[in-house]
Amino acid sequence: MGEITEFLTLMIPAMVPFLLAAQGTVLSGRAGVFNVSQEGLMVLGAAVGFLVSFKAGSNTVGMAAAFAIAGVFGLVLAYMTTQLRLDQFVVGLALYFAALGAAGLLYREVIGITMEPPLIPTLEDKPIPLLSDIPFLGEVLFDHDLVVYLAFAISVAIWWFMYKTRSGLAFRSIGENPKAADSLGINVTWARTWSTVVGSGLVGMAGAYLPMVYTGLYTEGMVAGRGWLVIALAFLGGWRPHLVIAGAAFFAGMEVLALRAQVAGIGIPHQFVLMLPYVATLLVMVFAFRWARQPSFLGRNYDRESRLVG
Amino acid sequence: MTESPRLEMRGIVKTFGPVTALDAVDLVVGRNEVHGLLGGNGAGKTTLMNVLYGLYRPNAGEVLLDGQPASIGSPKDAIAAGVGMVHQTFLQVDNYTVTENIVLGTDVPGPLRLDLSEAKERIRDLSERFGLTVDPDAVVEELPVGVRQRVEILKALYRGAKLLILDEPTTNLTPQEVDDLFGSMRAMVDDGMSVVLITHKIRETLSVCDRMTVMRDGRRVETIERADTDAEHLAEKMVGSTTDPGAAVDAAALGAVDADKVEEVLSSVGTTTAVAVRDLVVVNDQGHELIQGFGLELREGEIVGIAGVAGNGQVELAEALAGVRPLRAGTVEVTGRSMGGLATSAWLEHGVAYVPEDRHRDGILPTASITENLVLGSQRSDQVRRRGLIDWGAAKQRAVDAIAEFSVRANGPGTLVGDLSGGNIQRVILARAFARQPRMLILHNPTRGLDIGSTRFVYQQVRKATAAGCAVLLISEDLDEVIALSDRVIALYQGSKAGEWQHGSVDAYAVGRSMTGLGEARV
Repeated sequence: MGEITEFLTLMIPAMVPFLLAAQGTVLSGRAGVFNVSQEGLMVLGAAVGFLVSFKAGSNTVGMAAAFAIAGVFGLVLAYMTTQLRLDQFVVGLALYFAALGAAGLLYREVIGITMEPPLIPTLEDKPIPLLSDIPFLGEVLFDHDLVVYLAFAISVAIWWFMYKTRSGLAFRSIGENPKAADSLGINVTWARTWSTVVGSGLVGMAGAYLPMVYTGLYTEGMVAGRGWLVIALAFLGGWRPHLVIAGAAFFAGMEVLALRAQVAGIGIPHQFVLMLPYVATLLVMVFAFRWARQPSFLGRNYDRESRLVG
Repeated sequence: MTESPRLEMRGIVKTFGPVTALDAVDLVVGRNEVHGLLGGNGAGKTTLMNVLYGLYRPNAGEVLLDGQPASIGSPKDAIAAGVGMVHQTFLQVDNYTVTENIVLGTDVPGPLRLDLSEAKERIRDLSERFGLTVDPDAVVEELPVGVRQRVEILKALYRGAKLLILDEPTTNLTPQEVDDLFGSMRAMVDDGMSVVLITHKIRETLSVCDRMTVMRDGRRVETIERADTDAEHLAEKMVGSTTDPGAAVDAAALGAVDADKVEEVLSSVGTTTAVAVRDLVVVNDQGHELIQGFGLELREGEIVGIAGVAGNGQVELAEALAGVRPLRAGTVEVTGRSMGGLATSAWLEHGVAYVPEDRHRDGILPTASITENLVLGSQRSDQVRRRGLIDWGAAKQRAVDAIAEFSVRANGPGTLVGDLSGGNIQRVILARAFARQPRMLILHNPTRGLDIGSTRFVYQQVRKATAAGCAVLLISEDLDEVIALSDRVIALYQGSKAGEWQHGSVDAYAVGRSMTGLGEARV
């Protein structure tokens, strides 16, 4: 019993980077913008979040800065794809490299090379009164830092927006058939722009969470491919916010498991466990491709006057 | 002072790059009027209406609605001004329900709520008033074409359209559905609305329109009252002349003249069986059996038409008989040779030629040149081979010859096929199909979206093929075309034969009933 509680208690915060980044990806994806720069945005978010927290002495300000800088990258992606109609994949990859480079440069400029790496305080746990007193569940779910609650709240909010509001109905239609949406007076460019900015901002926050939660240190490579996993997660969840929560739990569980396998030395190289999320995504894509549907216009630009768009 | 007309468009000009699609076009649509906008494809009908609907910005000209200058920069403005449009390809979100599709972009209670109960009531009310039967809770991708069209019309009505534009609305409908649609149009006009009917079918304009405007090559040819015109006159205006001997025949295929006058289309049907299909079963990409136990015999020089509502297995049938989709069960024999299980190249070499429905996706490589597209499929033939490599000099010469023979309008053999118009792309595909003597030619919606000249060209080529003894399978959703061209008509419903008629004894309504599963099979 203690084993399971401990596992789940570790899993919940591990879900946060996946949740924030994947919901951000899903948000713009449902409007048809397929962002592939997550890995870069998370690295940049981690660097900026760390540096601003370090200089300003506030993790909240650091988090906000990470959201803002990634949001600016999102704005560039939105502009280049909706206005200049450049290929989303190519622009996304370019932004990935740009963000990666910017992260390294910023850290070098602000901190330089030091013998002792700078530290920021890690996020404090804020147990929710009453709820955290519930046996088992309270410990697992309601005794974490504020960003954990925020990540879940954002997930629920995005789901609610998409499926329970009139605006969400209009929003989702853009990713399915932008020509239909446009013909009904729905502003395709605006929806794609704001969702890409906000979605990218969430990816940046996901990155900023990493140095704030475990060690208080920023290290190069700390994002460790989570940004790429997030793309797989979006597909695994069928671009639906509620299923992405379940997928994030699975990915985070694998991460915790891999960590433990490494510590316990059970004989299986932990790299194999780290492969599992990718293998699972592949299997899902193969066997459940109908269920794991994606927005019909995902990754495709919309040009009102093009005669080729059906 | 007379009442100002519902719509007045003056001197509309629209260019796409160097191409002038609309050249100073005027259009006046009165109140309580069904106005036919008649012309071949490429005449500019749809472009003109896309300007009115705010999808295209005109380079010049003005639009007046109810006598007031209207500035329409987007579909949103058009909707606000009371203009509704039903496009040829439905603009619907496939996985949304009927109600969700209709309310999309309107002020249902919200924006942070989603209460559709009121909307559903209004949709029920509208569909009753105008005879547009539809279930508000159905998911649209599961609905047949006729019903999806009603959803499009309801979408416009729900937004309070006073002027409804219908772009080629009858293309995929059965004759019964066409009657219902025309009934609904009259109900709308009686209710105070105006309707613009974009069509290339002369018969339709004559049966439902009060006035019509004929367009050709981006210009308005004339506007005329229903009472002052007839089919011959309209055909002449559409085509530009009637001196061409082929014109009468093709006007018939376009619905203008009685089908009896097209006897000359009929090929001399041979006695030898060219193609025998038995107990054919074909599955689609999702593994569903879309063709179930289909049988067919084609004689040399015979044209058999397959009539059906889209989605009843036409694509699967065409692809299976062309050798590009495996047979799940059954046999296909072409001139006595069993083709099942053979590679597509073997089908091609045995004389099976295929003109697919989606010419952009399945018919050509858009970013390759005419030369390259014409080599496809014959790349192993001796004509273009030299020491195991492709002889591009010979290939180019072939392309030059084909461009001349099939009158492809292109700058040269190096032109990218994707840059050609639909009609010219179809000419390239036909040139490739006829590159070697075909024994069986499969045509799927061969004239969809083509102008009259190209349509006529396709028919001429079909005639030429049958004269040479080629068996032709014509799969088309244009019932008029099927009836006019075929020696035999077969109705396809849910993957099976639902009826069969000989040329001359085809009743379009009977075919229509069979196409929708209501008829009694007369096999």
